[in-house]
Amino acid sequence: MSALRRGFNVGYWLLAAALFAGAVAMVFVNTPEERTMGMIQKTFYIHLPLAINTFLACLVVFIANIGYLWQRKAWWDDLAAAAANVAVLLCSGVLLTGMIWARSAWGQWWTWSPRLTFSFLLWLLYVVFLMVRASVDAPQRRAIVSAVYGVVAFLDVPLVYLSARLLPDIHPGNVQLDPAMKLTLAACFVPVTMIAAGLIVVRYQLNRRAAAGSAAARLVYRPTPGLTPVGEAA
Amino acid sequence: MTRTLQQIVLLTGKDLRIEARTRQTLGLVIVLGILIVTVLGLGLGSGQQTGALGAPAVLWVAYLFAGVLCFEKTMTLERQDGALAGLLLAPIDRGVIYAGKLLSNLVLMLTVAAAITPVGVLFFGFDLSPAPGGFAAVMALGMLGFAAVGTLFAALVSSTRLQGGMLAMVVFPIILPLVIVSTRLLNEMFREGGGWQASSLLLLLAFDGIFLVVSWLLFELILEP
Repeated sequence: MSALRRGFNVGYWLLAAALFAGAVAMVFVNTPEERTMGMIQKTFYIHLPLAINTFLACLVVFIANIGYLWQRKAWWDDLAAAAANVAVLLCSGVLLTGMIWARSAWGQWWTWSPRLTFSFLLWLLYVVFLMVRASVDAPQRRAIVSAVYGVVAFLDVPLVYLSARLLPDIHPGNVQLDPAMKLTLAACFVPVTMIAAGLIVVRYQLNRRAAAGSAAARLVYRPTPGLTPVGEAA
Repeated sequence: MTRTLQQIVLLTGKDLRIEARTRQTLGLVIVLGILIVTVLGLGLGSGQQTGALGAPAVLWVAYLFAGVLCFEKTMTLERQDGALAGLLLAPIDRGVIYAGKLLSNLVLMLTVAAAITPVGVLFFGFDLSPAPGGFAAVMALGMLGFAAVGTLFAALVSSTRLQGGMLAMVVFPIILPLVIVSTRLLNEMFREGGGWQASSLLLLLAFDGIFLVVSWLLFELILEP
């Protein structure tokens, strides 16, 4: 069982790496160079899949939070923590690729345009989620606090989107894509999603083990130093 | 219905009576707010660089920090002498406890705002005359949403013995949409020509509604002595 599982894990990551390498090759070989932006437009093929996966990861956090509030099972909380970690990682990727592109296309790293503001606030919401978790010690209390925060944070996402739309917009909207560009985008989307899902699972398993470990540690008897049990006194 | 209202008034009255007799929170928070306005005013070159429209933004910063302190205080009151345990044992709905806390937080915040706002308006040379009622309404609506979320998270944070400052960190990112919409509305109202869009106001109202309902629903899940 364990050998099978390990084999599956190795196969999964090898496949993801191979697909990712293929996608990168496609980005450089298969797609035409964009007329006005040139090479820098190629960040787009990683930017959009990262952005979509960020939302998917946030959705997983939300479902896990609701699941915890509903059933109060610890594994929901571990899943939420794992997905939140990955969401922050992916969102950082979105911001970084976006900033690199913006520097070249707009001439500045940052501007308060709706989609940039939105991604940044999303990043903040989930970074705070991780910080809140890190600062509560009792596992049950931590789970409730982070579940309630996570639910409010996720429901806040559409509000952030609506309010950010009021800011002046310069972000490219619905761009017309060449068929080769669409195919490459799809080819990039698959490995990025595989990596995101794989990271969530790995992190989740790690969290489960850590929880089991600390539960076991609590069962181990540790005599308090300086206190001698009654009857054993010399 | 009237019974629920009576209970809410009773709970709010208790909080406000405690504040009126101890005067622990208001003085502290008002002075803090004035300090924030002063620091930002001096830092921004006495409003010369930002113009008068910087005043609403600066006031928002002051309201936010002042509000967080108010929320923390009204909740720690319940932590002393097991007051919260008694409250939870009392035959009242937990939604009523939420409403009571929210109302006392709002009263405290509006009092603080009434003291800080003139200072900000004076320091930044902000001309309120185009729409004084609009200014008050937008700020009050913004504070309602802020207090709705703040009351929920104050209860959440106070039960975990977290260090101070945590409440600000949790509430600020959540209520940023409110800040964006309300500063936008104020900009529309006080720019040349005036004229604001009803859609922004509707958005602000909708945010308030969502924050109120969600916080009210989640409040009873997290209340623990």
